[in-house]
Amino acid sequence: MILSLCQWAQDTSFFTAIRGSWNVYPVIMATHLLGIALFGGMILITDMRLLRWAMRNRSISDVVDQLRAPKRVGFLIVAACGVLMLGSKAEEYYYNIFFRIKLVLLLCVFLHGIIFRSSVYANAAALDRAPKIPGRAKLAAIVSLLLWTGIACAGRAIGYVEPPLERIHAGLLHGGLPMVQSVENQRSVR
Amino acid sequence: MLMQNPLNASESAFPVLECLHIIGFAISVGTIAIVDFRLLGLGMLRQKVTDLNNDLWLWTLAGLIIVVFTGLLLYSSDPDMYYLNVAFLFKMACLSAAIIFHYTIHRKVISSDASGEYGKVVACLSLTLWASVIFGGIFIGFVNAGL
Repeated sequence: MILSLCQWAQDTSFFTAIRGSWNVYPVIMATHLLGIALFGGMILITDMRLLRWAMRNRSISDVVDQLRAPKRVGFLIVAACGVLMLGSKAEEYYYNIFFRIKLVLLLCVFLHGIIFRSSVYANAAALDRAPKIPGRAKLAAIVSLLLWTGIACAGRAIGYVEPPLERIHAGLLHGGLPMVQSVENQRSVR
Repeated sequence: MLMQNPLNASESAFPVLECLHIIGFAISVGTIAIVDFRLLGLGMLRQKVTDLNNDLWLWTLAGLIIVVFTGLLLYSSDPDMYYLNVAFLFKMACLSAAIIFHYTIHRKVISSDASGEYGKVVACLSLTLWASVIFGGIFIGFVNAGL
């Protein structure tokens, strides 16, 4: 069902136009990377401050509270570009193992935000008052850094896997993944 | 004795270098962006620009070293292709301009704590140059080979 949704989405005229134009897709990808550059650094500095490896002269609340809004704006830009790229080649992304890994890691990041919000990221003033930065905050920072680094690497790896769409459509392969009903999705070869 | 570039002998060397390259520019451009957003008055307003810069310049330098070093290694994997790629040449021109601009005019504006229009112009120019570097990098894979 998700596969049919992907195939429908990429066949809409909007996404077909993106896929067909030689410069729109790279511009979207470059904006995606630009967003990572501008705002990934902010995520890094926030977590590095929690670990006391960066911006030690500023209080934790100064760093965390002031970077929160820009980070959210950055995430929206990056995610919007991601959705545009996904829509234009949805079926390829469906079969791409690294895209699936990236989605799982994004889910983990989302859960990480929920888990550590009240004790760390929304609690910066209390962290400043503590004599030493609590282990929980450091754990949150390390997990966050690992997850975001993983997301970036998985994202880069997406480009190295090219699902053989023609063979999948011809029913020769089952996409290398279970649950793909290639029979009902046979279409004319692109 | 002619040796093959070891980076081409391994399947995973190039992707790993690319990931390090991405992390490097996230660190360098990201920290530059924090300072530039402060110059533009868009964020981190509790600190003076000079203070922010004192906190972050070492990270920027470390990120740039990673970016340039991994970039050289990436280039070495296929020198002729890159040399003849118009997007790569554009990227290198913007990178040179960005680095020179960063350590001359941009540094002077920060140390004189300019918060007026001139500071904003310098910040915009800095962000534009670094954004051009990134755009150039992406288009390397999308332009036709050969000049």
